[in-house]
Amino acid sequence: MKIETIHGPGNAAAHVTLENNETLVAEGGAMIAMSTNVSIETTTHQKRKGGIMSGLKRLLGNESFFLNHFTANSDGAVVTVSPTLSGDLKVLKLNNDRIIVQSGSYVACEKSVEMDIGWQGFKSLFAKEGLFWLNLSGQGQVIVNSFGAIYPIDVDGEYIVDTGHIVAFDETLNFSLSKAGKSWISSILGGEGLVCRFKGKGTVWCQSHNASAFGRALGKQLKPIKR
Amino acid sequence: MSTTELHPKGYDFDFAARPDFGFATVRLKANETIKVEASAMASMDTNIRMKTRMKGGLGRLITGESLFINEFTAENGPGEIGIAPGSTGDIEHIYLENETIYLQNSGYVASSPEVELNTKWQGLMKGFFSGEGLFLIKCSGVGDLFFSTYGAMIAIDVDGEHIVDNNYIVAFTEGLDYKVESIGGYKSLFFSGEGLVTRFQGRGRLWIQTRQVPSFATWIRPFRRIQKSND
Repeated sequence: MKIETIHGPGNAAAHVTLENNETLVAEGGAMIAMSTNVSIETTTHQKRKGGIMSGLKRLLGNESFFLNHFTANSDGAVVTVSPTLSGDLKVLKLNNDRIIVQSGSYVACEKSVEMDIGWQGFKSLFAKEGLFWLNLSGQGQVIVNSFGAIYPIDVDGEYIVDTGHIVAFDETLNFSLSKAGKSWISSILGGEGLVCRFKGKGTVWCQSHNASAFGRALGKQLKPIKR
Repeated sequence: MSTTELHPKGYDFDFAARPDFGFATVRLKANETIKVEASAMASMDTNIRMKTRMKGGLGRLITGESLFINEFTAENGPGEIGIAPGSTGDIEHIYLENETIYLQNSGYVASSPEVELNTKWQGLMKGFFSGEGLFLIKCSGVGDLFFSTYGAMIAIDVDGEHIVDNNYIVAFTEGLDYKVESIGGYKSLFFSGEGLVTRFQGRGRLWIQTRQVPSFATWIRPFRRIQKSND
């Protein structure tokens, strides 16, 4: 599987070239164009496990319910994917390691990558951001998107990232949630709220902009929904 | 991607800030005219005079475009005009030589006066499901055409077949026939999130955009305030 990203960091898209029988698993709605030698199957989860319940979990996590499996019927099939919001795409390569991806940042991955949804522990703590987390492992490439640009931080020791700016991170890192300032009052007044403190050795991929913050800024300007 | 291109025919122009904030600067010779979508003129020098004309007729009302196209003419010598599409994204140019291009209804930015603009009835089945409105703008003749996208633009040379999600179609050349269909089975039709797709067939060029406004609008909806009615 060959993945080429174009037009980053503003409005990136990715051309994915598949050999015969290779399968790309993509977020519902991510495909924008494709060649005709591709067959599509829609599932609630990756095919080998899960089912309607894991699909429901995805729905609760504010993500679309379904994953599409794009399988090439001959060599050289092309599927072009892109995310909803403006920003960049990054291809992460898994070689028997594990990464945690923020649900809104997942675009697509090779079928050989194992996906677990609703990673407990983090999920409840992050409920406020309306996010949940995907645990990806195994072998293969993963396409993630960022709102704004994407930048890696190689942590060796400790590092702090605002929860709204996390795209993905190596599972080798330990994390804890804490307040950004010394006291809760300064943290809340400072507008930073919860931050994630990473410990250990590994990479955190961050996004330059916080989608929820943008949503709130714009949402205030829109006509209210009448109930 | 090059930001400056010179074309031997047609307008002397260049592009800046592509693909995220595409902007065109056109240098008109004395007495040369350009047609520009209403409100797309960003800046111009004082040699240029603007005339508002109803071009394209009532059809443009139906395509969702504003009815007015303005004509800008360099009157007392050469003049320069800066043109910016309404939304952020990419801008593209093509010089038509007795060719026809179909534009998605909000893609038109500017053209030379010799290019004819017509709305095209897509046919009930084709248009009804496409989610892009019932009309495409048919641009034909000889001359320059500028069109824009929300998001970046990808050109695809089709020789055979290619499938595009309906909301991402920007433009395509006349040599391509198209039909709207669903992908996969019924489950995919309703649940895949891909909606309906268009299958292009034949030989020609097709432009798609890397982002689309409707899904952005859907994304922002949950952030709207909720106002409780007092009843």
